[in-house]
Order: sequence, then C-alpha cells, then structure tokens
Amino acid sequence: MALAVLTDVVKRYDSKLIVDHVNFSLQEGEIFGLLGPNGAGKSTTISMICGLLKADSGEIMIDGLSVREKPLEVKKRIGLVPQELALYENMSAAENVSFFGKLYGLRGKLLKERIQEALEFTGLSDRARDKPSTFSGGMKRRLNIACAIMHRPRLIIMDEPTVGIDPQSRNHILESVKTLNKLGSTIIYTSHYMEEVAAVCDRVAIMDKGHIIACGTEGELRERVAHEEKIVVKAANITPALINELRQHPRISRVEVVQDAVEMYLPSSQNELQDILFIIAKHEGVIASLNIEEPDLETLFLSLTGRTLRD
Amino acid sequence: MNTWTIMIYELRRLFRSRSMLLNMFLLPLVLIFLLGASLSGVVGMKEADEIDPVRVAVVNAAGGEAGTSAMITAFLEAPEVKDLIIAHKTESRAAAERGLRTGKYAYAVIVPSGFDEEVQRGERARLEFILGKNHTDNLVAGTAFDNFLSTINYKQSAVVALGPEALAVPPVTAEAGAVVMGDLNNGGKTYTASQFYAASMLMMFLLYTGLTVTGSLFSDKENHTLFRINSMPVKGSQLFIGKMLGVGLVSILQCLAIIVLSDRLFGVYWGNRPGLLLLFCLLMIIASMTFSIVICLFSKTSASATNVINVLTVVMTFVSGGMAPLPDSWVNSIGAFTVNHWAQQAIIRMMLHSGLKQILPNLWVMCLICAVLLCVMTVSYRKVGYHE
Repeated sequence: MALAVLTDVVKRYDSKLIVDHVNFSLQEGEIFGLLGPNGAGKSTTISMICGLLKADSGEIMIDGLSVREKPLEVKKRIGLVPQELALYENMSAAENVSFFGKLYGLRGKLLKERIQEALEFTGLSDRARDKPSTFSGGMKRRLNIACAIMHRPRLIIMDEPTVGIDPQSRNHILESVKTLNKLGSTIIYTSHYMEEVAAVCDRVAIMDKGHIIACGTEGELRERVAHEEKIVVKAANITPALINELRQHPRISRVEVVQDAVEMYLPSSQNELQDILFIIAKHEGVIASLNIEEPDLETLFLSLTGRTLRD
Repeated sequence: MNTWTIMIYELRRLFRSRSMLLNMFLLPLVLIFLLGASLSGVVGMKEADEIDPVRVAVVNAAGGEAGTSAMITAFLEAPEVKDLIIAHKTESRAAAERGLRTGKYAYAVIVPSGFDEEVQRGERARLEFILGKNHTDNLVAGTAFDNFLSTINYKQSAVVALGPEALAVPPVTAEAGAVVMGDLNNGGKTYTASQFYAASMLMMFLLYTGLTVTGSLFSDKENHTLFRINSMPVKGSQLFIGKMLGVGLVSILQCLAIIVLSDRLFGVYWGNRPGLLLLFCLLMIIASMTFSIVICLFSKTSASATNVINVLTVVMTFVSGGMAPLPDSWVNSIGAFTVNHWAQQAIIRMMLHSGLKQILPNLWVMCLICAVLLCVMTVSYRKVGYHE
C-alpha cells in the first residue's frame, strides 16, 4: 500500500524551477532514499511533503490525505528530522522532547513514557537533564531525531541527518534508521552521501536539478549502468597529455582525475586494458595500483548527469 | 491547547534568561532611584511655602493718635488681615524708612492726612507704599493693601453710579458659597522627580517590550525550531499568539513589579486609580508589542529589527518629554504623536488626582492607537506570515 504519492509536483522560486514535475510513490514499511547533490531539490521536495511549502502544481498524498487540503492531519502522521539542528539550547534534552511532544498532542503519563522511550532510543537517557549546549555534535543530531520520533509517526522524514558528525555518531544514526523501520515506520532518507543511501535504503530516487533522473532499488539502478565498468588507476606522473590521450580513446566514455588516481568508464575493460596500460607507459606514468570496480550509484549519477554527487 | 503550551514554554525560556530579567526588572528600578534622587531639584516643583505675616510700618501723615484713620485701623484689625500683616504704628516717614533699612519693618504704608474724610466725600482712596527688601513680603503686603483700596474705590464708584442705596445691598459673603474650590491636582501638590521618572521609565521599559518581542520571534527562526514547529500539527496563528501571550505576560509582570517595588522601596505615589493605571499599562504593552511585531515581520535579521526598535524607543521617550519635561516648543508638539506621551501624561494626572474628565481623552487616544496598530499588525501578518 502506498503511504506517500507525489504526482507531477512542481515548485518555482520566482521564475526558477526548483522541483520539476516530480513523481514517485512510497510503500508502507520501506526506507526510501532521496539522493542528489546540494541544490538538487531534495529539501524543497521534503518541505512540500511536510506542508511547509505549497506546491505550485501537482498533488501530494500522505496516507490517502491531500497535503494541500488536510495539512494538519498530514502533519500528525509525519516526523521531520530537519537538516539543521532545531533545538532550544536553554532547555534540557527532556524539556525539548517534551515541548515538541506536547505539540503533537501527547500529554500526561503517555508523554512521559514517550520522552523516556525517545531518549533511550537515541542513547541520551543519561543526559536527559542536560542542555543541548553541553552536547557534542553527534549527540545534538540524536536529540534532533528524538524530537521527531516521540509521537511514533507513520512517516519519518530525515533530511541529511548525518551532516557534520563523526563516523561513530553516523553509524549510530544509520542503525537507528534501520531500527525505526523495523519498528514499523516508513522512512524517507535524503543525503548526498551515496554510501549512506546504499547502506540503509530499500529504494532510491536520484534527483538532479529538480528532476527525478532515476528511481528503483539499488540493484535495479546498478543494472542501468551494468554495461559500464570503472577502472581506477593510481599512478605517479599523471600529466595532462596522458589524460588527453586517454580521453581521445574511442572506447573510453569518460575520464576523471581524483587526487592521484585516474578513473575511466568504458563498456568493457577486457579488450581495452592493454591499450590503457600502453598509453600510461608511453607517458612515463608509474602505476601503483589498478582496480576494476563494479558500477555503483555514483557511477549511475555520473553516467546520467556527467557530474559527481559531490560537484 | 497548543497556544497554551507554546505560551508556557515561552515564559520558561524568557525567565531563564538572566540578562532579560536584569534588563526588565532591575534596570528600571535602578534608573528610577538614580534619576529621582539626582534630579529632584530639576524636575517637579517644591511644595508651596507658608506665608509668614509681614511687619508693616503704618505712618499717619497727619501725625498723632487723633489723625489715625478709622478705616485703616478697622482693616488692620480684621482677623484675615492679621494673618498676613503685623501693623506697627510709626510716628514718621523717616522712622519708617529707617526701620525698612534696618530690617525692623518689611513694608511701610503712609496714610495721607484726612484719608477717611476724603473717602467719605466720595473722592478716590489713595495710600503711599514704601517697598522693603524682600520681594515676597512686598507682594503679600502690596496685595493686601491693593485689595483694601480696590474695595473702597469699587464702593465709591457704585455710590457715584447708583446712588447711596447701592451701599445698602449686603455684600456677598464667603458663606454664600459663591466660590467652589476645585482640585486640579492632589490637594495643590505637584509631582516629585521620583514620580516623574517612575512614570517615564515605566513607559520607556514598556516600549522596550518590543525588544523581547524581537528576541522571541527571531530566536525561533535562528534556532530553526520554527521550521520544526511549522512541520507539526500547529496552526501558524496558534504559534504566533502563544508566543506573544508569553511575552505579554512577562511585560505585565514587569509593569506590576515596577509599580509595586517603586512604591515600596522609593515611596513613589502612583495616584488613586490603580485600575486605570493598569489599563494604561496594558494599552501601552499592546501598542509596543504590535508596533514591534510589524517591524519584525518586515525585518530580515534580528539585528536590524533591534536597532530600529532601540532608536525609536529612545527618540519617542525624549520627544514625549520622558527624559525631562520639555518647555513649550515644536519638540513638545511632536511629542503628541508618540505612543508613550498619552500614557505618561495620563499617569502623571492620576498621580495628581486629576478628575476622570482630564484622563479619559488620553484613554481614548491610547485605545485608538492600539486599534490602528492591531489592524496594521493583522494585515502585515497575513501578508508576510511568520516562518523561516
């Protein structure tokens, strides 16, 4: 059953098209990834799903309710973890959760239980009385999540929840996403980190310049670029002449230089490897390592847009 | 329910800010004390001085007891005159002048010979006065004798114009109640410097409520909590009203604290109409808050809104005569266009026990200002809204 359905959603700021006829649906119980570089339109799409922005045209339905017609009813079903920390620094962790819980209509014993539950879930129960100003970045991110889940929403939207935190807290958050999903919540997870999306999401939509350019499971998306292989050569003495000659090779579709490595995309490495090694040797490049990699979401994004996710 | 929750948490956050508590509750009291104590000679007026009786040398130009004017003697013996004048019969003008120089007398009157006879003949009554060194004594004695001469000359005129029967008409006495004593102020008292600055500082700090409004509205934008709240099942109006109720309640508490503590600590008398005083304060809070909300809605940053409100508050306080009573000038006329002018004038009138008729026009003006500002605020909110 589809919990969220977006049909031809359009949003403009002045004359600039930010979200351009976006269509996707979200099945109950799945983790849906929205992947794209900064400025792709992910946060605007999420703001429209949450009723924070009105779509210029198109329809957004959540649990069978139109966001345009029943915004308050829709909002009750959603828990938003904003990209920016949205906390009161001069109130304790428990007071923050309590305040937002009350705004979701929780009261009395139920509210107390949910505060405890949310803080335990995010590993902050022993810091419940402390103010966020004394927390680390990762702890603040976890409190940011606690404030969005204490009312047990059917749909949790996490907008880049791991920005600017240490790997340990990132892992904690990614595990939390999976746990929340197991507990029955449907999740929309946006990120421009391909690895995160690939690690937690059942399905992924890739956004660029306001468009959904690809949508499916990770396997389905990989399939779209299965005809391409990626050869990564780490070498010393990489010169512009070397790169130029590689780019002029008729079978190599794209060449990127990433630090001391050259990344090449081509249909099959089997027949062209000899040529590549010959060109590198001709330009006196000294090869340190050579890898032939399976295509990934990054490859797909590059293949579709000509840019990397971090561009 | 959401409005209530938002209001309670707004109050909690405001009361946790030490700087806000100091600025709202301690600073006004310190200023009232300092300004009231240091400017007590500059602002307000002294109590009216008691009039001491004046020592007057009375000289009969004819000389001797035989020439003493019966009319003058009767006048000087009257009890109300005795309260003002202590008559000393003096033998000669020279003795009177000598007494004036030495300070024995404060004023001298030379009664011409045949004064009574001339009056009885219907001629104009005349006396000669020699002023002393003290201006107040001269004024008191001169006023008393001028009044005496005016009364006689008035009767002479009446007799000339209407005939001798005119004198048969009984004079109007004080018992007839021809004069009703009014009370424009508190039994003839005026306000003290402490009272003036208490009223003025109360108005200024209620204007500064605008800064609390700015802090409240912009803190949620800067914390991004507004973004989160907007994603919750809370109406924009509930959020806005809840926050403003919280700020308004703190301002009411601030107002009560200033009134009660200045009364208890510094003896500031706030007048005999506490209900009306609170009503004016409430209107002032509404005016200040709505004014600041409009500025905040059209400001992009907290700093710009704060600057505008700071400048306007200081200018309005000065122009309305809140720093010191202004003389009649164009600046004073501009003061009538400030919000605090009307409330401050009304509060000072209440301190002086003015009648309701003198205070009500100020109340209507304040109500009108609040109504206009509320309309402007509502239109602005609908147009701009409150969101990130």
